[in-house]
Amino acid sequence: MARAALLCLLRHRTAAATSTSPLSTYRCQLKTSNSKTPAAGVGRASFCRPFSSKAAVNDVIGMDFANTDSGVAVMEGKERLDPFSLVADELSVIASRLRSMVVVEVPNLASAAEYFFKIGVEGKRFRPTVLLLMATALNVHVPELPPAGVGDTLPTDLRTCQQRIAEITEMIHVASLLHDDVLDDADKRRGVGSLNAVTGNKLAVLAGDFLLSRACLALASLKNTEVVTLIATVVENLVTGETMQLTTASKQRFSMEYYMQKTYNKTASLLSNSCKSIAILAGHTAEVAMLAFEYGKNLGLAFQLIDDVLDFTGTSASLGKGSLSDIRHGIITAPILFAMEEFPQLRAVVDQGFDNPANVDIALEYLGKSSGIQRTKELAMKHANLAAAAIDSLPESDDEDVIRSRQALVDLTQRVITRNK
Amino acid sequence: MLFCRGFSRISTTPRKSLLGFILSRPTEPSQSLLSNQYLYSTIKVCGGRKAFSWSLPSLLGIGRQIHHSSSVIEEQFDPFSLVAEELSLVANRLRAMVVAEVPKLASAAEYFFKVGVEGKRFRPTVLLLMATALNVHLPEPAAASVGDTLTTDLRTRLQSIAEITEMIHVASLLHDDVLDDADKRRGIGSLNAVMGNKLAVLAGDFLLSRACVSLAALKNTEVVSLLATVVEHLVTGETMQMTTSSEQRCSMEYYMQKTYYKTASLISNSCKAIALLAGQTAEVAMLAFEYGKNLGLAFQLIDDVLDFTGTSASLGKGSLSDIRHGIVTAPILFAMEEFPQLHSVVYQGFDNPENIDIVLEYLGKSHGIQMTRELAMKHANLAAAAIDSLPESNDENVIKSRRALVDLTQRVITRNK
Repeated sequence: MARAALLCLLRHRTAAATSTSPLSTYRCQLKTSNSKTPAAGVGRASFCRPFSSKAAVNDVIGMDFANTDSGVAVMEGKERLDPFSLVADELSVIASRLRSMVVVEVPNLASAAEYFFKIGVEGKRFRPTVLLLMATALNVHVPELPPAGVGDTLPTDLRTCQQRIAEITEMIHVASLLHDDVLDDADKRRGVGSLNAVTGNKLAVLAGDFLLSRACLALASLKNTEVVTLIATVVENLVTGETMQLTTASKQRFSMEYYMQKTYNKTASLLSNSCKSIAILAGHTAEVAMLAFEYGKNLGLAFQLIDDVLDFTGTSASLGKGSLSDIRHGIITAPILFAMEEFPQLRAVVDQGFDNPANVDIALEYLGKSSGIQRTKELAMKHANLAAAAIDSLPESDDEDVIRSRQALVDLTQRVITRNK
Repeated sequence: MLFCRGFSRISTTPRKSLLGFILSRPTEPSQSLLSNQYLYSTIKVCGGRKAFSWSLPSLLGIGRQIHHSSSVIEEQFDPFSLVAEELSLVANRLRAMVVAEVPKLASAAEYFFKVGVEGKRFRPTVLLLMATALNVHLPEPAAASVGDTLTTDLRTRLQSIAEITEMIHVASLLHDDVLDDADKRRGIGSLNAVMGNKLAVLAGDFLLSRACVSLAALKNTEVVSLLATVVEHLVTGETMQMTTSSEQRCSMEYYMQKTYYKTASLISNSCKAIALLAGQTAEVAMLAFEYGKNLGLAFQLIDDVLDFTGTSASLGKGSLSDIRHGIVTAPILFAMEEFPQLHSVVYQGFDNPENIDIVLEYLGKSHGIQMTRELAMKHANLAAAAIDSLPESNDENVIKSRRALVDLTQRVITRNK
């Protein structure tokens, strides 16, 4: 049965599918299997939410990858693994370490800082998964997993250093979420109340700053100035991206180029630069580091583009079933930008803004007539393929773990664009 | 580099006119002893400044001198003037650095760097003086050797610490303002009121991110650690202040810890960073740290006093603002030791203005103000002692800067605004 579902998935895999997702069928088959990882399939609010530029009001939307250790199906003679299960154990170790890294004496600050690292609200940990897979894909084996030790111990072996990148990345990511929620007046995040809703803006801002400083401390402990520079760039890009979103003049809002730059800043930069850091820590050549960078970048972009689509289409093919939260917040995303190319008259509507819900309807109408959704999906696919190509260009290896991790990374590029929530 | 342009060294002709400033860069300590007379320019000497406007500010902060054949005369000098030119350079660079791709945010961040709002630029002054005090000279003007390039680069790197420190400091002010609903900061409407909460958060983030990038560019992970620790301390201190239990509010120890986090940590750790970048030993780095820490603590203690005794105009914020915000500072803590009955008043809090009056009465009867001043002096002396413990140097510039740093410790405790 699982096989049938997977073949179904394969058939739909490369199509710009707008029909019901085969992935859900796949999931259905696997739900009966046992899962050994604690975070599995509990339906937590998504990691896609953090990519989104909108307030996290709908916490149900999430990517529900079934995390099972029997999630294997035979297909075309290759073993197909759930990417998340490959690194599940390591993720747990990292999660514990993260919790210890944000400990501080002042109680209120401590509870604020650890708010999104507690079990159950860690999100899908998409980024750490990508990074750990990348680490293995770049020829580094997973040794005896070191215990979840004190966060400020100087990591001595490569794998621990790379895990630290994953930790740093998560801290920076969460810090940016905390501040974004303050900026967006969001009241929900990852299925629970946002920190600012729970403790007030003040503590949320401070907690974000605190996480950033801890991330910098961890970063410094790696004693690699190139990596420090890369991650510092990420921090800067995150702020720039958020600012680009908040303060766009009209002209810029209509520009696809501006939008892609903003998307890179807000979403892809973290992935791209941390992937590159993984490669650099492993001592790889600039070429390989660039491939890692390209993977992260294109994966991030693909992800965000599909996120934009889903905001319109939701779980159904037809327009308007999505949450529409982007457009309601006046955020113009790729589908609309494409539609405006086809229907210049849409510009006038966009110019007026979307406080008037009638304008939302008009925009949706144009969008439906246009090929905006389709073109966005195609663009997402293009980036997903670029990401996969980057992996395929990595120096060859016979190692099974390496091969499997690379496969998982490629697999992720497909999952990112075929998901329907 | 730029500093090479247009400079000549005139070593023997005595000059009486203030316009005739020349820069003499003794290469060895022995040479400096021969040229005896040193006069310092101050910002007020506009003519002198103009004469140097074509020359590079980065050189001129330390030790503009006039050569005379007469004997050494001890001159009173203003520590701030020693580094005035360099400070301008730093400030300009900082202003340029905050021009982001997104103009609106740049203007928000710039808000705090505009002339008039810059505050006393106290921290950068300390850091630049410390740099010279630790033997990192401004380089020879005419020579173009590799050594000089390195020295220039090093000086630039140290200036970068000053910039980074200011960015972190202002970022924390921006975030504090959001949180405190302060309507006055540095004498004009705070950024928060003017531009809205959210932009203030974002502007603070922007500054922090720029600080990160600049820190990374220094390629020194230990310095990254030090300044990351500063950010953590600033946050911790602010949270301590927000969330004190009644018990903690009455504790001098808690208060001093909080004060260290909020005020002294920035100066101490950045002084230490200066020392590390300058290649000094761990001992020297620790002395620099101690100077910064004690200076910062002394500064804050006097600040506490002035909040009671100062005037509204001179402080730039309303006086009694600490107590009105329910912040119990050193004078009160000392008064509480003398008059335990004050505990219950403090416990009640200060929403009721009558409580403020009661506390002020007790404070007046007590030695609170005096004891705070004495504690401040103790720290100021510790700071001065740290400078005196630095490895000896015969270099005039080093000596001058160290004197300036010691001078600052006195100014910090004798100021009345």
